[in-house]
Amino acid sequence: MKPLHRWLPVVIGAALLIIFESRAAYAMHIMEGFLPPVWAGFWFIVVLPFWVLGLRRINRLIAEKPETRLLLGFAAAFAFVLSALKIPSVTGSSSHPTGVGLGTILFGPLVMSVLGSIVLLFQALLIAHGGLTTLGANAFSMAVVGPFVAWLIWKGLEDRAPIWLTVFLAAALADLFTYVVTSAQLALAYPDAVGGFTASFARFGAIFAVTQIPLAISEGILTVLIFNALQANAQKELQSLGVLKGAQA
Amino acid sequence: MRVIDRYAFGNALRDVDPSQKGALALLAIILCLALDHPAVGILTLVWMLALTTWRARTPLRVFASVLLTEGAFLGLSVAGIALSVASSVPEAPVFAWQFGPIWVSATHKSLMLAAHVLTRTLGSAAALNFLILTTPLVDLIEMLRRMRLPEGLIDIMALTYRAIFVLLDSLERMVTAQDARLGYHTLHAAMRSAALIGSCLFLDAYRRSQQIQTALESRGFDGSLRVLPLDYRRDPRMWQIGVGLTLSLVLARMIA
Repeated sequence: MKPLHRWLPVVIGAALLIIFESRAAYAMHIMEGFLPPVWAGFWFIVVLPFWVLGLRRINRLIAEKPETRLLLGFAAAFAFVLSALKIPSVTGSSSHPTGVGLGTILFGPLVMSVLGSIVLLFQALLIAHGGLTTLGANAFSMAVVGPFVAWLIWKGLEDRAPIWLTVFLAAALADLFTYVVTSAQLALAYPDAVGGFTASFARFGAIFAVTQIPLAISEGILTVLIFNALQANAQKELQSLGVLKGAQA
Repeated sequence: MRVIDRYAFGNALRDVDPSQKGALALLAIILCLALDHPAVGILTLVWMLALTTWRARTPLRVFASVLLTEGAFLGLSVAGIALSVASSVPEAPVFAWQFGPIWVSATHKSLMLAAHVLTRTLGSAAALNFLILTTPLVDLIEMLRRMRLPEGLIDIMALTYRAIFVLLDSLERMVTAQDARLGYHTLHAAMRSAALIGSCLFLDAYRRSQQIQTALESRGFDGSLRVLPLDYRRDPRMWQIGVGLTLSLVLARMIA
């Protein structure tokens, strides 16, 4: 097995080159075909109730205020385009924000479960990030767990912590939990031969920590700055969304 | 993202019914996942490469770059499957390196699994790429409408698609303007500039949605956005390709 021994460091070196190359880090999307059919199906079933509830909520909002339909279309586009924005990463390279924390603060977690899934679908179809069969798994980590974590922090720390800290934690922890859940999804599908799920989870977690932890911190800082700018420039809009005087879920 | 959109609108299979292209791509993905064998994955990749470059006349360079957009994810996670990092060495490792107390090793089984996952992912990602490089998103949304997805969701998706390019234009103009004024010169300035863009983009999106609402209402908007369906061509060759694809993949699985 000498030859294997020889080319493996080359492969690993090439893989490292790809990450540390100047290209900006995107959030972690599981690629098309990466999950075995059983797990792909499982995550669709898990995420389905959130889609149903989210759609119901959207239908109710549209029935109350018809202009919400257009607003939601633009909100999904806003989240998509925001993820094309390059922001400096704390490590010196750059990364793309996910917009999950900001979107949840603005629109609430149930609406975000649908909007986030539309964004994920469009990312698969327009920039080839993520996939169709893995949409369920990606939607669960990024459009369900991320928004609900952000929402819990946003509601839980309301009036208890300075607003900048609340916004920072909501955005950063939403990203962090998205990455933790994605690592768990990968580990569940591919447990380690020796150490089982735990070893595999630790390994996938460690591999992606390099890009995902700096991304979470950068996005936290960015979201605080955006939120400050919004408070200064968009008071009226924030009030009509119900963000400033305590939003509704 | 403009690259994929441009080729989706300008390829030779543009006017073929999206249901046919969608069905073919889904068939390939399902076969790839269900048969789960390196030979099947590689054969799917070849099929989709041939369809995209010969039938749709999309340059090979474009197909390859789209396939590798998530190369970093793929490389890292396949390495994660192949290598085991532990304080002990599993039985019968193919190789094992020691870094202090930690052993990085791989077994024959884990390398096989990694090869399976790598080829399966490349095969099904190629099938998805065939679909997105030949079918514009408007056609895919029309396909979802035929699949009876909730009307409200379809409306939001159609709006989102249009709004993305409107907002992307705003974004690019703002980035250029900031960059020209050294807005991205230092790390601190870059973060500040990015945040300004984030808030301005939100305002832009919000106000545009209100303007469109006003414009629609003044023209008698009753809540549903109806557009005329496009005329599509049914390509009889797609059926033959579908049958050929299925037979060859099943055959590859049986032989290999």
